[in-house]
Order: sequence, then structure tokens, then C-alpha cells
Amino acid sequence: MGKYKEMVLETKERLEKLGYYKKDLRRKEEDPVKFEVLYTKLVQCVLTARETATLISANPVTREAGDTVFGLYTPEGDSICLTAGVLVHVHTTGLFIKWMLEHDYEEKMGIKEGDYFFNNDSYIGGAHSNDQNIVTPIFYKGELVGWAGGMTHVPETGATEPGGFPSSAISRFDEGLYIPCMKIAEDEKVRPDLDLLVERNVRMPVYWLLDNRAKMAGVRIMRERVKSLIDEYGADYFKDAVHEYIEDTIRATKEKARRVLFPGKYRAVAFYDVTLASQPVRAGDTLEHLPLEMTVDKKGNITLDFDGLSSPGQHPANSSHMCSEGNVFCAFLQNLFYDSRYNEGTAIAVDMNIPLGTVCNPENIFYATNMWMPGYMLGSACWCNAVARAYYARGYREEVHASNPIPPGTTSGGTDQYGRQFGGLYTECTCPGQGALAIMDGLDYAYAHFNPEADMADVEALEQQYPAVYLGRSIHIDSGGFGKYRGGNGNLTLRFVENTPFLQMGSFAGGTRVHTTPGIMGGYPSATEYKNIARNTNLKELIDKKAPLPHREGADPSNPEMMQLLKADFEFGLDVNYVSREIKKYSIYQHQLLGGGGFGDPIERDPKLVARDLEDESITLRTAKAIYCVDIDPETLEIDYEKTEKLREEMREARKKRMIPVKEYIKHEREKISKGNIPKISKEMYNDVLAKSEKFAKEFREFWNLPDDFVKIPE
Amino acid sequence: MPEYPKDLIKDLIEGGLSSERVFEIQKAEKDKDRLEKVLEIEQERVPWKEKILVPLQEHLYVVEKEGKKIVKCSCGYEFGDYRENWKLNAGVYVRDTEEKLDEIYRGPRKCDPEWQIIREFYCPGCGAQLEVEAVPPGYPIIFDFLPDLGEE
Repeated sequence: MGKYKEMVLETKERLEKLGYYKKDLRRKEEDPVKFEVLYTKLVQCVLTARETATLISANPVTREAGDTVFGLYTPEGDSICLTAGVLVHVHTTGLFIKWMLEHDYEEKMGIKEGDYFFNNDSYIGGAHSNDQNIVTPIFYKGELVGWAGGMTHVPETGATEPGGFPSSAISRFDEGLYIPCMKIAEDEKVRPDLDLLVERNVRMPVYWLLDNRAKMAGVRIMRERVKSLIDEYGADYFKDAVHEYIEDTIRATKEKARRVLFPGKYRAVAFYDVTLASQPVRAGDTLEHLPLEMTVDKKGNITLDFDGLSSPGQHPANSSHMCSEGNVFCAFLQNLFYDSRYNEGTAIAVDMNIPLGTVCNPENIFYATNMWMPGYMLGSACWCNAVARAYYARGYREEVHASNPIPPGTTSGGTDQYGRQFGGLYTECTCPGQGALAIMDGLDYAYAHFNPEADMADVEALEQQYPAVYLGRSIHIDSGGFGKYRGGNGNLTLRFVENTPFLQMGSFAGGTRVHTTPGIMGGYPSATEYKNIARNTNLKELIDKKAPLPHREGADPSNPEMMQLLKADFEFGLDVNYVSREIKKYSIYQHQLLGGGGFGDPIERDPKLVARDLEDESITLRTAKAIYCVDIDPETLEIDYEKTEKLREEMREARKKRMIPVKEYIKHEREKISKGNIPKISKEMYNDVLAKSEKFAKEFREFWNLPDDFVKIPE
Repeated sequence: MPEYPKDLIKDLIEGGLSSERVFEIQKAEKDKDRLEKVLEIEQERVPWKEKILVPLQEHLYVVEKEGKKIVKCSCGYEFGDYRENWKLNAGVYVRDTEEKLDEIYRGPRKCDPEWQIIREFYCPGCGAQLEVEAVPPGYPIIFDFLPDLGEE
């Protein structure tokens, strides 16, 4: 057995048997200032690596949207420090390193200075084929002392559809080029045969290949800087310190959880819709069940149990185990451990059960994973909701917020305005709305849960890349969940096709048939997501005549601006999981991003905030009156407080009249369930989970008072 | 470690602080005595005397009453033992048709009721909307939070 493999196994065993990563924090205790100064210098190394790569890249997702992360790893593959960015990979890049070591790369491939290894296999260490990692070993005087790693999201992978998110994928083999753990460079030189592999398998190789160089430059700079730091601090000190940083994080995270979360048992659940029946694919629809039971004990130990997840399926929306875990860690780092070091310690400190054979931990590698939204939602919806309650009860209201939305996006491909073949991704998906806080509204179109540093990119940069012209980018009105504090709104874009002989366009993710972003404590979930397209338009004529053009959706989504101003064949309210297909010149497509979940009873919202929302065009007048019960003059925005109070009192009374006692509701529902009077799609979800999870089945029977032999909702 | 005056915490939880001040509080280390202060503030805000043990969520508290721990609304309505889901003693309104959903979510912005319904839970005492669930038809009612009060 190679010595590096032995190192990985030893660390695992130590954690399992002895319960610690490093027994003592000797270096920290000896001289805490020196210890922290070295850490800061290491953080500077990873930041420099990321900035270097960003400047080299030609890929708008790396360059404009910041969908990257760089990190330094221990010899056995545990992250020591990371940049901000796509924090899913706090864990996954390390697993890629561990995989190579555990699979005897030391002996079979050789690991030496100047080697660069590539991986985009989501079952080895990643999220989906677009998230591409490169690592290089760091040797000091012949000894492996760590790894430098970098990840960027490459928008074209040679999948069945351009843009890296094939909505039609029913297996891994539809997702383009996977290159698992390959040595792509030796002695600092890239292998030309591997470049050729990419050149002949993807639509726009420049994104992939230049990003490879960008990451190699970044990790090489990191490697050299780390070696200089070892010169300065000494190898023994460095080796002790990097392991202590991880142990220190484990201890700090537990201590923080103990101090700020109320101990107890928390439940949260979210649902994701996979819509393929409406698409030109021979596959059906699926409703995915994503439950969480979180336990926080008095010592700060957190256990997350996702027992009850749906089965994986022949569709794009599965998430590999490590991607699911990574998404939850990404949530930890933002919502709870944001003041800790960003490293593996956070992952080690929390116990997590994501059962094998589920949509968030498929039992084999053939399941497609490009749409890893179910894994994403374990963090963005379930964890956010549960930890919000734990903060609330402890009094830390500034940390409470409702769940954050998934990021649906638009892909396109074909021939660009320069006559080149291309495939690409529009980066507005990095800016949905944020969940509402317990004390203020969520941020509008400014926050992606998967990458808190994301940027939606300038319109001009995207127009330069892809053959479509923007008619408008605006607030997606009424998209945030309504509440005492509302979820942030998403953004909405209208683009028309121009300057291309052939373009195809698609979009990805779910959230059309179900609300994927729950509200909390009386707040509503955010609106669902959909897509509008206008084909065979008279847009050219309107432009020539300098007539008014559509720039946004407007107040009524049933009668959007484009319908009012254009003559065209309209396709409205389409599923967001829209398989890429041809779209002709002067066609218009609308895409929007979801808002965040709402917090608290909407009729407790300060009327002044409602007036501000109207002024900002964040909500419609209908919402102001019907949901927030505010009497307001639409012209002057003057509020009649007396009438508002009366409207709100009437709403409270109306609720009391229309509600039924929950126990009565349960009786009616039980009857329906026992007779199988449940819509087909929901029934399929229950029957799958009832067969899969004993825990869910037991609780389901207990709740509905069903007999022990009730194992399936009848036809 | 920072310590904040009670008035400032009251302003914070009532949404009265500027976003700049909130960000400062978010960034700082957490104040140790927050729960004690929040409990005092919450106790002063409710019109009844039972001792608040846990601020469970908006409007709802676990309180001590005659040796029992129960869930109580700010309006005074009592939901019963805290170990049982308070929702079982609430009122519910179910939006399970396009028409009912359209009152909240206009046009294409709503779920498909075959896939998902909206359940609004109200306090029978004051009509406050306490929780909204978005679940498929037939989903068990969610028991969001059972605080650990050191009892079985």
C-alpha cells in the first residue's frame, strides 16, 4: 500500500475510533498570533490563485459570474482553507484527491511535482460535469505536504444539449464528456492528446481548455507561495498547523452551535418537480420528496437525517452523495459557521445521513446529475428552514431567514455572431432573491445560495458572447414569498435572437409545478417559475418603425407586455425544464429567477414597506390590497391607516370563518388516503417513499392512523 | 464579547434597526445573554402572565402554566402540551384548487394542485396566520420544532 493511501486510511480510522482529527492544538496554544498569521497568509494564497484564474479565463461563468472556488488541501485531501465562491466544493475537491490516493494513483500513475490532475466526475468529487477541478501536489524537499486545487464551472460539456445543463438527460451518458481523475499535465506541460479529446467532444472548447490553463496557473501560484511559506515557518510547523486548523474548526463549530442554537428536534421538507412528460423526451414526470430531521443537542452536536428521500430516476435531477453533502456544507458555512475557517472541519463536525439508493445518493453512477437541485435544496430549503427556527428560539433573530430559491437558467447553442459553433449558459441564474429575514426583507436578485459571491454579469458581456440581444432585465415583480418580511424578488430577462443562422435555446431546473422555496412562520413560499416564448414575431417591423417594444413582463403575468405589443405565436407558462430546441431570429424568450421564501403573517407587514414596494415595482397593486390588506392610493401611494387596519381585521375574521379545525381536516384526508383518492403524481411519490423508508412509512401510518399493513396508497 | 442594551434588542426584533446596524450585529460575536433579554422583552409584549420558556415562533410561545408546559399564542389562545404539534389544535385553510391558489399567486405563478397544495394554519383565537405549508395532497402535517426542555 502506498504511503499516501495509508495516510488517508489512518485519518479516517482516527476520526471513527478516537473521535478527533488532531489530538492537540499545540501550535495554536504555543503562539496563537503566529498560528493565525500563517492562516491569513494561506488564505491570501488561495485568493491569489482564484484571482489569477479569473483573469485568464474566457468563460463568462468564471470571469463574470465568479462561479469558482480555490483551496489548499492536506496531503490526505482535507481542505485547509478556501476562497469564498462555490462552497459546495469545500468537500468535493478533497474527495477527488482522496479517491486518487485510495485508488493507488501513487503507484499506478505516479504523483510528482509538476503533475496536474483533472476531474469532473460528480460521483468522484464534484457536483456535475460542468464543475471541473484541477489539483496539483505540493512537495517540499521531496515530501508531499499538500495539494493546491481549483474549480471553475465550464458552460459547455458536449452534452446532448448545448450549455452544460441537458434538461432531457435520462442518464450520465447524455451529459457530455466526463474525465475522471486524469493526469492532464506532467512537468508543467499539458498533454496535447487530452486537449484534442476536449476539442473534438465539446461545442466550444475554448471555455474548457482555457479554464484548464487558468486553473493550472492559479494552483501553480498557490503551490509556489505555500512552499515559500514553508521556507519561512519550517516544514514541521506547517504540517502541524494545517491539521490543527481543521481540528480547531471542528471544535469551534460545535461550540458555536451550542451557543447559538436552541436544542431540540426540527423538521423541514421541500419538494422538487421534474417535468419531462411535456418535453420531447421519452420519460415521465417525477415529484421528489426532500425531508430533513435535524437534532441539536445541548453540547452543540448537530445530526441531520434525510431518511425518506425519493428514489433516483431516469431524469436529470439526481445529486451525487458528495454533491448533496457539499450543498449542505455550503449552507452551514453561510448560515451558521460563516465566522469559522472554511475547511473540512465543518464537514467533520456534523453527522449526516443521506441514505444510499436515493435521489441525493444514487446507488450507481449511471444516474444523471447535471441538475443537482435536490441536493441543493437539502441546504437551501430544508436546512435553512430548520436552522432558522433554532436561531429564532435562541433569540438571534438577525440570523433567521426563510429558505433560498433554486437557480433555474437558460442555455443556448448553435452558431454565434462570429460564425463559430458554440454552447453557453446565461448567468442571470446566479442572482435569484434571498429568503426573508425575521427582521427585514430578503435581498432582491442579488443572492445565490450556491455561491454567495456570485454576479449575474453585465448584459454587454453576455451580448458579446452569445447571439441574442437584451430587450430588458428587470425585477421579477411579486416573485418573492409574501410575508411580514418578504422574500427578495428574482430577476427577469427578455432577449431576442439576432445575428445567427442557427440558434437553439433551452432552460433547466424545476419549480414550475411546485413551490420549491418554502416560507416560514406564516410567510408564503415564493412564486413558481415558468417560461414564455414568442415565435414568428413582428419584432423587426416594430424596431424599424421605432414602435414601443416589450422590455419586461408587467403587472399581469397572464397578459405580459410582449403579448400586448407583439404579433407572434406565443407559448406561455412553459415548464422551466425546457429541452433545448431551435429558435428563429426575432423570436423572444423570457426567463426569470425565483424569489426567496417569506417570513411571518403578510397582514402584519408595515404598510410603509408595502408603499415602498409599489414605488420600486417590487409588488403589484393587487398584492398590496389582496395579500397585504393595505388601503393605498395607487397614484400618490398615500396610505389610509384606519382603513388598512379595518381591512386587516376583516381578513382575520375571514380566516376564522373559512378555516376548519385541523383534527376535522385530518379525518377527511385520512379517508381520501385510505381509498387512494390522491392525484397520481403525488401517489407515485408516496408509494416510492413508503417502500423505501421504514421511518417515513411508520410515521405516515401513525399520523393518518392507518393499519400496520398499509404499505401502499391504493389505485 | 458584545453586550447590547435591552432597548436595542427590542428594536432589533421589532425590525426597527437600520440594515447597517443589523449587519454590524450579524458580523459581531454573539452576545451571551440574548435569550434572557429576548424572554424579558417577549414577556412584556404579551397580555398574559404565564412565564415564557421558549419563543417558539412568531406569536407562539412555550409557557409554564400550572406545572405544565403548553404552547400559547400572543392573543392568549392555548394549543396544549408543547410535545404535541400545536398545528393539530389550530385551524386550517387549504388552497387546493386553481381558483383558491390564484388569490395568492396570479396566473402561471402558482403550483399545480395535483402536485402541491397550500395549507394555511391560523390561530383560532386571533386569526393570525401562523404557518404555511406547501406539500403534496395527503402529506402528514409537519411538526416543525420540538424544543429540548430536558424532558422525555
